[in-house]
Formats: sequence, structure tokens, C-alpha cells
Amino acid sequence: MRYKLPLIALLLIALVAVPPLFGGGVQYALVNALIASLFAAAFNLLMGQGGMLSFGHAAYFGIGAFAVLHLMQAVEYGYMGVPTVLLPLAGGLAGLIGGLFAGYFATMRAGVYFSLVTLALAELLFSLAPHWEGIFGGEAGLSSMRMPWLGFNFGTTLEVYYLTLVWVVLCLAVLYAYTLTPFGRLTQALRDNSQRIRYMGYNAHTTKVVVFAISTTFAGIAGGLMAMSNETANYSIFSTHISAEVVLYTFVGGSTVFFGPIIGASIFTLFGFVVSGATNAWLLYQGLIFVLVMLFAPKGIGGLIQAHIDQRHRLPWARLPLPYAVLAGGGVFMSLAVVFFIQSFEHVLSNRYQAVVARTGEWPDYHLFGASWDPLSPVTWLVPLILFVPGVIIVRKAAARIHEMWEGQGADVEKSEAAPATSGGH
Amino acid sequence: MTRNDDVVLAVRDVTKSFGGLEIMKGVNLDLCRGERHALLGPNGAGKSTMFNLISGEFPPTSGTIELQGRVISGMSPEAINRAGLARSFQITNLFARLSALENIRIGVMARHGIRFNLLRRVSRMKSINAESMQLLERVRLGHRADTPAGDMTYSEQRSLEIGMTLATGADVILLDEPTAGMSREETAYIVDLIREVTTDKTLIMVEHDMSVVFGLCDRISVLVYGKILATGTPDEIRNNREVQEAYLGEEAA
Repeated sequence: MRYKLPLIALLLIALVAVPPLFGGGVQYALVNALIASLFAAAFNLLMGQGGMLSFGHAAYFGIGAFAVLHLMQAVEYGYMGVPTVLLPLAGGLAGLIGGLFAGYFATMRAGVYFSLVTLALAELLFSLAPHWEGIFGGEAGLSSMRMPWLGFNFGTTLEVYYLTLVWVVLCLAVLYAYTLTPFGRLTQALRDNSQRIRYMGYNAHTTKVVVFAISTTFAGIAGGLMAMSNETANYSIFSTHISAEVVLYTFVGGSTVFFGPIIGASIFTLFGFVVSGATNAWLLYQGLIFVLVMLFAPKGIGGLIQAHIDQRHRLPWARLPLPYAVLAGGGVFMSLAVVFFIQSFEHVLSNRYQAVVARTGEWPDYHLFGASWDPLSPVTWLVPLILFVPGVIIVRKAAARIHEMWEGQGADVEKSEAAPATSGGH
Repeated sequence: MTRNDDVVLAVRDVTKSFGGLEIMKGVNLDLCRGERHALLGPNGAGKSTMFNLISGEFPPTSGTIELQGRVISGMSPEAINRAGLARSFQITNLFARLSALENIRIGVMARHGIRFNLLRRVSRMKSINAESMQLLERVRLGHRADTPAGDMTYSEQRSLEIGMTLATGADVILLDEPTAGMSREETAYIVDLIREVTTDKTLIMVEHDMSVVFGLCDRISVLVYGKILATGTPDEIRNNREVQEAYLGEEAA
């Protein structure tokens, strides 16, 4: 674990030093990435550590956001004097209370039933929120403004970014420390076998409620940070979309590794920032990535990294880069083909294009990747095929080669199951 | 036969029905301090139900169960465990992704009342770790301390299972078929281990293997169709005609 601390220090320095070099748009994307990271880490405390898959974590994220907005309004109107930097605490408190209440009921059941109860509770909130105007501000939601504090007026995105960074880093540190405490270990025992701990003197239900409430506390803080950053929120924050997104982040990042969900959340948030500007199909791409990761690296990106760390003494590092590069190259071929295909469809099936077709009866050329393409020409559709087929062949060959290298090292075959992409490669 | 003050576990007229079906039909059983007691019986006799009743999985329909003079029937499994009774399971029932040492440590933590501690690093709790390691060595798994329980061999897992049962510090130990699915050698090994680690405990175990029971246990109770047919020393049981007919006879034939 010697490499861990310097790595984290380096990352922290980058997180402090780099954002000022970018504009407000990137800074705003980074704020969202930080918040998503905290949300995913909080979710994974329940999922990865406690073994409870919540499909309704948007509820606690949202409760946290609204609690902070109410407090911000109270400060704004002068009823209370709470420093802006402490606002997210209200989100945590709201998440805690909400989590204790919901967790008490949800954790009475395990597995699918638990997931469904959490989903139902979040949906309930989603459908009630627009009608409870006093609390959630109706369909428009609540808005407020950040008040200056000690000379910081929190007017720029950069200031908000730094405030968010401090909160997220502190919370992540606490969440990591949690895994090292006796209760953190008990949480993992609960995940592995919630039945057995009862026969070892622990009340499983109480334990689950506490784990649930700690998770929702941090989800509430994340929601509070979101409210503070946006200065507004409405009932849509409770939507299934938000609940599903955090599940997606966590699985793609890898729930078995503490930093997995953080990696997943950061990548997806920034991916969304970059790609959503370029295409309407970005959610489709996000879904594709999710499916691919689940199929070929079910332990996620974090799981892949962890497998390399675990096997670092056995892996032939000098011989690995070439097949990895080839695998990546094949992957690029396949991705280009898929992107070409999807983007062509997006163009041709768009309302605007179809209107032209309806008016003129012709299928004009469309522009993609800096060239013009005729949608009725076979050549156009041969392009993705020509990219895709060799891509598949290259990827399969490279994956088989990598698989060999992982398997070939010593007798400890079991652990190589976690090897990257290889299981799909033969 | 038993002096009353020496009885640590007393099962009194316990019945248990599931729906209309009466599985336990008025069971009486006394467990004396320090004895090793075996529960024999054909499949479906109610041995597992009996263990589940004693350990709190579900309450009896009628009758009482007393542990050290205190009524435990109707209490939750965790409360019964805290009262001083621990059980193992017929099917391996561990924390698969935690290391062998951690599996034990969960029990040792409970024994010291460390349940909701979020303020200390578990790796720095010296006495807890030392005690866990000591216990792991007693079940001869010291060399596997860092191995995830799920990666251990079956017989190692069975040993760990016994270690976990001991870890909470209970005086009364219930072992549910500790040698199930084991080879002769493995069985001999685990029996030897059980004898060693239960020296100053009170043990009741479900077991199918006659040689195990006759060699290890001080007394045997034979359970048939939800009733205790006979209780006695191995010799008494061996020579009991009813038992021979109901159970042993079948095997001898």
C-alpha cells in the first residue's frame, strides 16, 4: 500500500491546481463529477460493503438537496445565520433522518424485496413532491442564493468547486476510514452472511438500519452540495433516472473496490459533459458501456485495476503493453464502427432530415466525421462493417493472448478470473 | 441421573408445529455442565428443528427452554448468543469474502461488546486481534489467517466454522453435523479438534457417524419422529432394544 498515499496526494494536488486553468463549463462539470463521486461512494457503502442494492437512493440525495435549499432560504431571508460552508450538513441530517425511517422498513426484507421497497419509497416521494408545495416548491421547485462568508462570496464556479472539493474529500476520507473500523468490518460480514451474524450476537436488523442510515447521510450531503452548487432543485431530483445513474456509476466503476464507484462516477459525469454536447445519443452510449463492462469486466474498472495490483508480482509486465495496445486498437476500430452506425441513424432518422425526405422525396447526403455520406449507397454502410469485422478479430486475438499471459503465470489460476476482458475473448 | 444444579440447558416439553404438522412432540432434554452430548436420529426426526428451537431461529409452539436457569425460548438468536449459547451450521455458513481471521474476529468483537464502534481502527485493537489469532490457531488455521474464507478447502471451512462458534465465548456449543461430507481421515481430524476445543465447554452435536458419536460423546439422545426415544451413555444406547429397532437396527441390517 506504499503507492497509495503518494498517488492520492498527487491526485489532490491536481484537483486543486488544474481547474483554474479551465473555464466555468469544465469547472461546473468537475463539481458535478465530485458530487456524483460522493453520491456513488455513499451508495456503495450500502451496496458494496453492506450487500444491499438500493434502487431508490435518489430519495436521500433529493431530501438532502431540499433541506439545504430551505436552510439557504432561511439564511437569505435573515432568519438564521449559518455559514455557507456548513450548509451541506443540513443535507446530511435530512439524509440521516430519512434513512433511519426508510431503512427501518426496507431492511426488514433482503435481496430483491429490499430493492423493490427502496424503489417504491423513492417513487412515492417523486409522485408526492410536486404536490407538497410547502416542502418541495411544487413543480418549479425551490431556489435560493449562496450568501457570502468570511470574504468569500461564492459567486464564481471556481469558489463553489473548491468548497465542493473540500466537502467531498473529507466525506470520502470518512467513508474510507469507516471500512477500517469494527463496525465497518461487521458491515462486510453482514454483506457476506446476514444470517450468521445473528448467531454471533449481533442484531442484524439494527445493523442494517445503521448501515442504511450512514449511507443515506452521505447521499444527503451529496444532494446538499448539488443544491448549493445549482442554487435550485425541483421534484425531478427524486426521479428513477437519478437512482439508476448511481447504480450505473457504481457497477461500471466496480463495487468491490472502495475507489471503484468514484472512478465510475467521475468517468461517466465527464463523459456526459463531453459527449452530450456532441450527440443526442449519449445516454445510449452510456448504456452500451454499462452492458460491455458487465459482460466483459463484471467487477468494473476498479476490479480490473485491483486485479492488476493483486497480481503485480506474477504478471509479465514487459510483455503486457503490446497485447494491451492491440486490444485497445481493435476496440477503437469497433467503437468507430458503432459510433458511425449510431450517428448515421441519428442523422437520417432525425425529424429535420425526414422532413426533407418527405418534401423532396430524396435522401440527401449527410455529414459525419468530416465527410459526406449517401444514406442509400451500400458503400456508406460498408464502412462500419469494414471497421467492425477486423476490430472484432483483433480484439479476440489480443484478448486470447492476454488471457494466456494471466493464466500462464503460476498455479494460482483462480484469481485470474478477474483478468481483463479475457473471459469474453475465446 | 442428573443433578439439577448441573443442568446448563434444559428443554422442557417442547413442541413445534408448522401449519398443522407437529414436528416436535414434547421433547425433554437435560444438558449437564461439561458433557458432550450427541443427538442421533434418522432423517426427518427433527434434529435440525431442535437446534433451531434452541438457538432461537423460531420459538417453540409450547414448552420452555432454559439456559443456565434462564428461559431463552422465544428470544432472538442474538440474545440467546449473548446469553451464552453458540451454534454452527450443517451447511457451511461463513463470511466468504472476509479472511479466516476476520471471520473469527467478528465473534470476538461481539464477545467484548464491540458492535457499533466507528471510532477505532480494528487493526489497532491489539487484544481483539491477539485473541482472534489465538483462537484461529486453536482450530489449527493460523497459517491461513489472511485467506478469504471462501477460498479455503471444505475441511478447513468446517474447522473455521467451529472456531467461529467458539469465538463469541459461549459456554454451550451446538454443532450441527460438523463432519458432514467429510472423508474418514478428515472426520478423525475434526473429531480430534472438537474434543480439544470443547474441553471446558458443554457440547451438543447432531451427528450421523456412529463411530464419531460413540468415541466422542459422554451421553447420547436418540430422537425419533419428534420425541426423545432414549437418553444414556453410549453403551446404554447401544444396548437399548427400542433404539436398535428404531434406528441402529436399520443400519446394522
